[in-house]
Amino acid sequence: MERTLANFVRALRMADVRVSTAETLDAFRAAEMVGWADRQRFKDALGAVLSKSADEHAAFDACFDQFFHFDDFESGANRPATDKTDDEPLDAANGAPPAASDAAAPGEGESESQGGGGSNNREDSDGSESAESGVNQPTPTQHAPQPISAPASPLGRMLMADDRTALSMAISRAARANQLENIKVFTQQGLYTRRILDDLGRAELIDEIGTLESAGAAPDRRLAGELRGRYDRLRAQIRDHVESQFLLHADAQGERLREDMLRSARLANVSRRNDPLMRRAIERMARQLVAAHSRKRRVTKRGRLDVPRMIRRNMRHDANMIELAWQSKRIDKPKVFAICDVSGSVALYARFMLMFLYSLGDVLPQVRAFAFCSDLAEVTDLFKQHDLDEAIRRTLAEHGQGSSDYGHALADFERLALADIDRRTTVLILGDARNNEANPRTDLLRKIYDRSRRVIWLNPEPKVSWDTGDSVMGRYRAHCHQTNECGSLVQLERVVSDLLRSVR
Amino acid sequence: MMAGVSNVTTSFSIGAAVTEPLVPNAAETMANVDAVRAALERHRYVGSSRIATVVYLAYQLRKPVLVEGPPGVGKTELAKTAARMLGLPLIRLQCYEGLDEAKALYEWKYGKQLLYIQVLKEQLDDALGGAKGLRQSVERLHEYGDIFFSEQFLEPRPLLKALREAEGSVLLIDEIDKSDEEFESLLLEMLSDYQVTIPEIGTIAASGQPPIVFLTSNNSREVSDALKRRCLHLYIPYPDAALEQQIIQAKVPEITLELRRQLVAFVQALREMDLRKAPAISETIDWARTLLLLHIDALDDDWIRETLNVLLKFQDDVDSVEAQLPYLTRRAAGG
Repeated sequence: MERTLANFVRALRMADVRVSTAETLDAFRAAEMVGWADRQRFKDALGAVLSKSADEHAAFDACFDQFFHFDDFESGANRPATDKTDDEPLDAANGAPPAASDAAAPGEGESESQGGGGSNNREDSDGSESAESGVNQPTPTQHAPQPISAPASPLGRMLMADDRTALSMAISRAARANQLENIKVFTQQGLYTRRILDDLGRAELIDEIGTLESAGAAPDRRLAGELRGRYDRLRAQIRDHVESQFLLHADAQGERLREDMLRSARLANVSRRNDPLMRRAIERMARQLVAAHSRKRRVTKRGRLDVPRMIRRNMRHDANMIELAWQSKRIDKPKVFAICDVSGSVALYARFMLMFLYSLGDVLPQVRAFAFCSDLAEVTDLFKQHDLDEAIRRTLAEHGQGSSDYGHALADFERLALADIDRRTTVLILGDARNNEANPRTDLLRKIYDRSRRVIWLNPEPKVSWDTGDSVMGRYRAHCHQTNECGSLVQLERVVSDLLRSVR
Repeated sequence: MMAGVSNVTTSFSIGAAVTEPLVPNAAETMANVDAVRAALERHRYVGSSRIATVVYLAYQLRKPVLVEGPPGVGKTELAKTAARMLGLPLIRLQCYEGLDEAKALYEWKYGKQLLYIQVLKEQLDDALGGAKGLRQSVERLHEYGDIFFSEQFLEPRPLLKALREAEGSVLLIDEIDKSDEEFESLLLEMLSDYQVTIPEIGTIAASGQPPIVFLTSNNSREVSDALKRRCLHLYIPYPDAALEQQIIQAKVPEITLELRRQLVAFVQALREMDLRKAPAISETIDWARTLLLLHIDALDDDWIRETLNVLLKFQDDVDSVEAQLPYLTRRAAGG
């Protein structure tokens, strides 16, 4: 049972639910408390212990249904219940989470009895009642009214012995030997199934069946038929096993892998096909940032007394200054002005940066966005009125033509928004600083620099190509608090994270 | 789940003193999930089995429960019912911005300290009698220890009070999301170990049974992970029609079956609309009582228009619902 739950927790972590060790222990206790018998109740209990927010709960639900799915009961159902090896009531009730132990076996356990025992239960529990009723009714008595010859091949003997524990253990061993836990892609499922079968001695068995079928004796033919049926069930069982392993481990892992790759890939190289994934990656990063920074904080200025408050507070002590009150300062949420070059070369980056900034709504409530090629315009309203994708599409459509002219854009910005910049404002400029030989108007940037809290210039080009060709990065750089290369999501995240930290 | 707004429930709990045994046996009530569910229902808290499971676990594992959900689905009421059901005192701590340990945990009785110093001035002279010089006086005073910072001068606030209840208690920390980050951190010690640390005295652990803690949150901000990790999590959504009918039945039993069906259908339809504040269960109950009071047997447009303000708290919402009223009424009546 522990193993099952531990594996479930692992699957949960894959599904992005953060589960600590302490919570895992709680889950054990909770499971013991409510028992396995009632699926809904079991799920409720685990859900309360393991998932900690509505989002996580949705993930938990999906994961639970996938992990403890009941299809496996069907494959077990057409086999009669066998003798149960466990006599503890707890293990007897183990019927509820069968697929789990099944999935657990190969990746994990040297502990044979554990993995094997679990899988054993999986077989004989088509609902816990039938498991109960099936107690101590060995299959062979039901199956062998007529004489049947004994098979010669090892796998055949195992199948006929109907020893599920041994069989499951054999499957686990074979799976381990073939490193099933490393399964990566969907199409490998067939391959792994075949390999496991081969390992179990498929060839020998097929040969034997062939020989038996061609032989004339009735007991032999009966044996052949029986073996073939059992072999088919075994194959189905292995296929299920492989699939559940794949779903639990590879699927999430693969996605995580792709996401990690996307994060560090240069944004320009990310094809549109990956958009949903990018969205998810951005959302995930944004969530982390929000969690880290969504704290309204006050800083106490140690050493400076807040006299009026202190007098008020000490009135009840007859104005004896017993309680001290220190001056404190509330930390405001930062105001961010984002100025984005949306000309062809940088548009893609602008897209992701805006997406990122607006995903941070909780910690950055005051984002104003400006877009330019040569003429600059505010696009904040677009983001208020439309959803993210639509707003970005419109921004690019309306402002994204022509070649960039930073001087002109800065002049527009001065006219539009310079007056609104105060000491709490951070100005983010995203652009490659390729000014097409026009006047860069660094004096205007200086003005912004003087008024604002920070000016951060994000350049999507690699640092080595700054100041090459018509890039005037070096000249602008002198009037920025900070310049960063931001070619990938990871770099972007670092900048935004810095921004949140420094403003506070 | 069910109604949670206090005005609804206080009037209710006074009016309908529960008929079941007044001294409930906690161990029996909490024996298993079904018993918990039955007990909740006996105290007229109708909810999903999930709620009963979580309450059961909270009691057995002695873990706090973080209850989330939209306003008015019965988060606060759950804690109140749990207290009634177990026959334990309910200690409530309403969170707000700026809540600090002086208001939540403990405070020194400054006035009393001052008063005692004044009264005891002479004794102080005796105690110091014969002492020469400042150093000696201070040494002499040290012999008396920290009498002015002992428990007699400690004013317990809700958290400390909850710890000191020998029989255990139900502690309700309401709207934790309204409090500051620092306060959350303050709670951590309390929630994981059922103890608090007072610098002048030391660590005070729960004297008897540790309290059963319910925290509620409306998600106006994300509660910190550290806090969440220490709690069981329970999300109470709006109920479906069947459950809401049961709730109304339990809370307003006088109402006719047909009207109950209609009004629940109407409210459920409202929740599907795009409103600023969808009506919660507490509003449904209020509305049912209103209709009862007005002796209305069947919903019609006029009466709904008259009483809509019970359900909806924003004029915008009232306007947009009124525009669709005939359709909604027909749907509710036909449903």
